[in-house]
Amino acid sequence: MSARDTILATLRRNSPDPAAHPLPDPALLGESDASPERFSASLTQMGGTMLDCHPDEPLDQAIARRFPKPGLMICSLVPEATGTVQIEDLPTPQSAEPVDVTIVRAAFGIAETGSIFLSESQLHLNAIAHLTQHMVVLLDPAQITANMHTAYLRPEFHTARYGVLMSGPSATADIQGVLIRGAQGVRSLAVCFAPQ
Amino acid sequence: MKEKPINHAGAAATFIADKPHLDFHDARLWDMRQKRDAQMHVLPEWQDLRSRASAIKEHALANLADYLEEFERNAKRNGIHVHWAADGTEHNRIVAEILAARGARTLIKSKSMVTEECDLRPYLAARGVTVTETDLGERIQQLDDQLPSHIVVPSVHKLTEDVARIFARHYGTDPDADDPHQLAEAQRLAARPVILHADAGMTGGNFFVAETGTFVVCTNEGNADLSATVPGVHIATIGIERVVPRMADLGVFIRLLSRSALGSPITQYTSHFRGPQDGGEMHVILVDNGRSARLGMDDFWTSLKCIRCGACMNTCPVYRRSGGLSYGAVYSGPIGAIIDPTFNERKYSTLPYASTLNGSCTNVCPVKINIHEQLFKWRQVLVEHHQMPFVKREIMHMAGKLMGQPKLYRAAIAGTETALGTLPRFALYNWLNPWGKNRELPEPVKETFHSWYRRNRPAAKPGQTDNAENTP
Repeated sequence: MSARDTILATLRRNSPDPAAHPLPDPALLGESDASPERFSASLTQMGGTMLDCHPDEPLDQAIARRFPKPGLMICSLVPEATGTVQIEDLPTPQSAEPVDVTIVRAAFGIAETGSIFLSESQLHLNAIAHLTQHMVVLLDPAQITANMHTAYLRPEFHTARYGVLMSGPSATADIQGVLIRGAQGVRSLAVCFAPQ
Repeated sequence: MKEKPINHAGAAATFIADKPHLDFHDARLWDMRQKRDAQMHVLPEWQDLRSRASAIKEHALANLADYLEEFERNAKRNGIHVHWAADGTEHNRIVAEILAARGARTLIKSKSMVTEECDLRPYLAARGVTVTETDLGERIQQLDDQLPSHIVVPSVHKLTEDVARIFARHYGTDPDADDPHQLAEAQRLAARPVILHADAGMTGGNFFVAETGTFVVCTNEGNADLSATVPGVHIATIGIERVVPRMADLGVFIRLLSRSALGSPITQYTSHFRGPQDGGEMHVILVDNGRSARLGMDDFWTSLKCIRCGACMNTCPVYRRSGGLSYGAVYSGPIGAIIDPTFNERKYSTLPYASTLNGSCTNVCPVKINIHEQLFKWRQVLVEHHQMPFVKREIMHMAGKLMGQPKLYRAAIAGTETALGTLPRFALYNWLNPWGKNRELPEPVKETFHSWYRRNRPAAKPGQTDNAENTP
């Protein structure tokens, strides 16, 4: 017998009584507040920031204020910002290594945790989300869902091949318990509310 | 040849003797426990979440074969290659074959306890594959040639100076570096080129979803997503017990996992893999390695509900003061002590005794595993199977006799109190009395509850006998 058949046969032989362990209905628990205020508070708790941006100024201006250093490689995946390099010019993950700032629009956000959802539909090149040094995320406040339970009802989880919930920047506390924001993925993550 | 049982108490004694490491370890884990409590207190639905998580897991385990087949069907439809491994050797062979077929010589991987179980790294090293752990803590442990000492924070038993010394040797950094930021940056800079040029990437999986054929990886550093998205090949190793039926079930677990583990609301990355990225390929290896047998153990099958958050380790007074390495096993702490004996009953026969049975592990477990009851049950099983050291067996035998005879017991207790009050220290704190090691014995009491009760109990009414107390 193959390993597969042996494993399945052993499981069926050893299984506890299925009738004694019914599946509960999907849970919808907890706070249902889906406000931008709750999202920002959660994002801050996770080490992310809200981008200092005003609705009536060009996004490029806010990006320049946030990243004033000249000569940065900026990849914009949104029409609201120009950037210095196009995603089409980054055909491989390796070519995305020098990118300093990536600007992308999230499919949705989660108020409970300050998370934003990105998939291949937004990123085009999945690795850029982790190779870029910094990330700026546009989020439509209308696309904020209350919590993890409501989030998993979103259709993206059934369509995206790669879907990542990023909750603030990368982090580690593996050396003597000291929390370090900016571990191996993005060093910073800033969100800008921008209706679509 | 029979393997000798792990000398947990001996290793713990060495750990305790190093005060700076002991104090940090104890305080760090207790801090994680307190952060977990803070998260729990802000969620009124916490206990409801635990009950649901437990129920979903028990349901999934009771229908595991069906859910595995459903997952396989959906994952294959999405273009994922699904492999099955009965044990560690088979798992390692599958990984080596996938790599060999693509001529891959370098593999980057994120933390995965299952690959530790399978002892993957030496297997691949012997076949000319360079494996690089990319998680900071796991990398520190790899460079130091040690097992992870904790399932969430693998190098939690080390201080900054230890890491500085290891990094100096391997990365050429300052051996006297005392800033963790500086060392974490060194890891980032050392890992990047390795990641960019790796032939294949590997991750574990915290959950997989039967309904959609998705697997989910929860991490903080970003290294798992780099390992998954940068090379063209992504291999994920997952224990068969990690399945949940529906996508909608994930919310319960994601809400509990990082809150229980680190006291943060969610991990920085919660990544869902449902199919290969453009131009890439994706493999899932479903590993049994003793799990299907464990499912048939009436007293122990619920240990398969474990989501590997480490909360039981953080709260355990024995774990905090003995360190993960003292368990001599891939899984340490309370959860390790009930899982490890299923891998090797003799070798890990000492681990269920590494507990005070205080029940704190059970109380913090997000999926409600009755860990302390299973620890106690294992002790019974091990005695029945004659896996108990001679001295402990003899002491238990004597204690059994003593406690079975109230008069004898009371005489012994009175004698003990006298001894505690009158004996000099050298007679109490020596190698014959393990309870005097590393702890102060209790102050002797003036009188026992029994003698107090006999003086103070209300006079029995005529015709009424005190059934609870039949001493003359």
